[in-house]
Amino acid sequence: MNQNEEKIKAIRLVAERIRKDSLWMSTRAGTGHLGPALSIADILATLYVGVMKIDPKNPKWPDRDRLILSKGHGCLALYSILSQVGFFDRKYLGDFCTKCDTLLPGHPELKLPGVEANTGSLGHGIAIGMGMALAAKMDGKQYRVFVVTGDGELQEGSNWEAAMAAAHHKLDNLVVIVDRNRLQLGDLTENISKLEPLEEKWKSFGWRVKSINGHDIKELLSTLNDVPFSIGKPSAIIAHTVKGKGLKIAENKVEWHYKVLTKEQYEDLKEELALEELQDE
Amino acid sequence: MSEIKKSTRTSFAEAIVEVGNEYKDVVTVAADSASRYGDFVKKFPERCFNVGIAEQTMIGVAAGLALCGKIPVVTSYANFLAFRAIEQVRVDIATAGLDVKMVGTDTGFSSAWLGFTHLALEDVAAVRSIPNIVIIDPADATEAYLATKAMFEYKGPVYMRLRGRKDEPVLFGKDYVFEIGKGNVLREGKDVLIISSGSAVYESLIAWEILRQKGISAAVVNMATIRPLDEALLLEITSSVQSVVTVEHHNVTGGLGSAVAELLAEKRPDVKLLRMGVKDTFGTAGSEEMLKAYFGLDGNAIAERIKSFLKNDYKSEVN
Repeated sequence: MNQNEEKIKAIRLVAERIRKDSLWMSTRAGTGHLGPALSIADILATLYVGVMKIDPKNPKWPDRDRLILSKGHGCLALYSILSQVGFFDRKYLGDFCTKCDTLLPGHPELKLPGVEANTGSLGHGIAIGMGMALAAKMDGKQYRVFVVTGDGELQEGSNWEAAMAAAHHKLDNLVVIVDRNRLQLGDLTENISKLEPLEEKWKSFGWRVKSINGHDIKELLSTLNDVPFSIGKPSAIIAHTVKGKGLKIAENKVEWHYKVLTKEQYEDLKEELALEELQDE
Repeated sequence: MSEIKKSTRTSFAEAIVEVGNEYKDVVTVAADSASRYGDFVKKFPERCFNVGIAEQTMIGVAAGLALCGKIPVVTSYANFLAFRAIEQVRVDIATAGLDVKMVGTDTGFSSAWLGFTHLALEDVAAVRSIPNIVIIDPADATEAYLATKAMFEYKGPVYMRLRGRKDEPVLFGKDYVFEIGKGNVLREGKDVLIISSGSAVYESLIAWEILRQKGISAAVVNMATIRPLDEALLLEITSSVQSVVTVEHHNVTGGLGSAVAELLAEKRPDVKLLRMGVKDTFGTAGSEEMLKAYFGLDGNAIAERIKSFLKNDYKSEVN
């Protein structure tokens, strides 16, 4: 196995762990946005393990790459990856929506090490990322800012304000990854307010765009390590994904936007998916 | 009072250049509002960012800059900052306690003929509903200058509102002291306490003079910081003065009058209170002078209203 194949294998294991942790946290809590977390598991695993420069022991390292989860409701996946790479101990995952004033609420907050912005209301991440990218340019720093958005989220107009301004400011250190799982809370995006042609939209706003399979680690790795696609332009990656990926009953099902397994369902799937015990030791 | 006139916007622009010299991390973000930063833009072009007519993006960008150690200043018309971008102010800035200075201009009646979309009469209420933001409403150019300096000595989110017109009378001299969270007693008096902020302070001082000539002794407090409210000062004065009038060029709901009412209702329930301001209605088009008269908020109207208030003549208070 060559080095790249080993890396892909390692990322795949981390992504699997994200999925298991997401099921574990959400089932214990009886709440959580499971479908939207499962669709970004491979994207976050690739970014944190194979792309981003981070120092989890020094979470405020000024030169670190930043990730903003603009689709904050996908936080189950974020919490898992942050703990896996060492921003905080795994034992805190049990606090997800089970303790008042928890560090792991239903949308990510800055008080948790590794979280770069408060998100939860959609359409905020690109502008915040743009501010961080401007600061990098101003300080002559090399860090990149990755913003993960939902696809339905792009119906918020604030995204396009920021997209226009970021291109104007030539922020090639800003990367938006669209989790194109085709579903939003109520229906298919194309049945509610059409996003297509999405690639053309980003292009016309002055971004360089690539469409990829958001579950293909090899493709994710090569694409994410290839940014900026063009000097002087921000990069957009449309990652085609499956909402609920990895949990067969949830895949491509609109109702799994904000739905979790019952404890009984979890127990039934435990062996097949090699899931952890629900209760703490 | 002096006849010197100077815009609060001009003194903000002057102060921001000095602040820029002192603090290298201060940056400006504009939503096509760069002119408000005056010479800062010429002097520090590499520290100025314009995002276009996009207030939400302006606030988000400021948050991102603040998260990377910068101290951003943002400006817009008060309404567009406090309403169009209010969610970004709440989620991106206030909850995180980010060190961002937000300056809303053209407050009160100063947008005049531009009509109700531009008259900022509810901005304080909107911002005051969000925890964690200091709110400053300077009364004149001197105070706007000092407040601009002071908000950079404070670490955390600040909302400052400026009338921003060339004909703003200068009320205070070089010896004036501004401190965040401290009201200033401009006139001592025993019959009634007038509490005011921003452009309403000048009209309150005119009312004070009219009342004085009628033998009414009014105290006037300039409450430039609406949050945190100087509760200690108000409790001290109301231990002897039992009638209180708030005057603001803003809606009576949610602004200075509400802040004072909330305090007095809990701590001084026996004090008689009159809130003067725009009475839960929208602004309309007119010159500033016309609008102040229309809403009963110029010096004469304030004095008349206070006289009837002190006489318990409630009928004449209805308008």
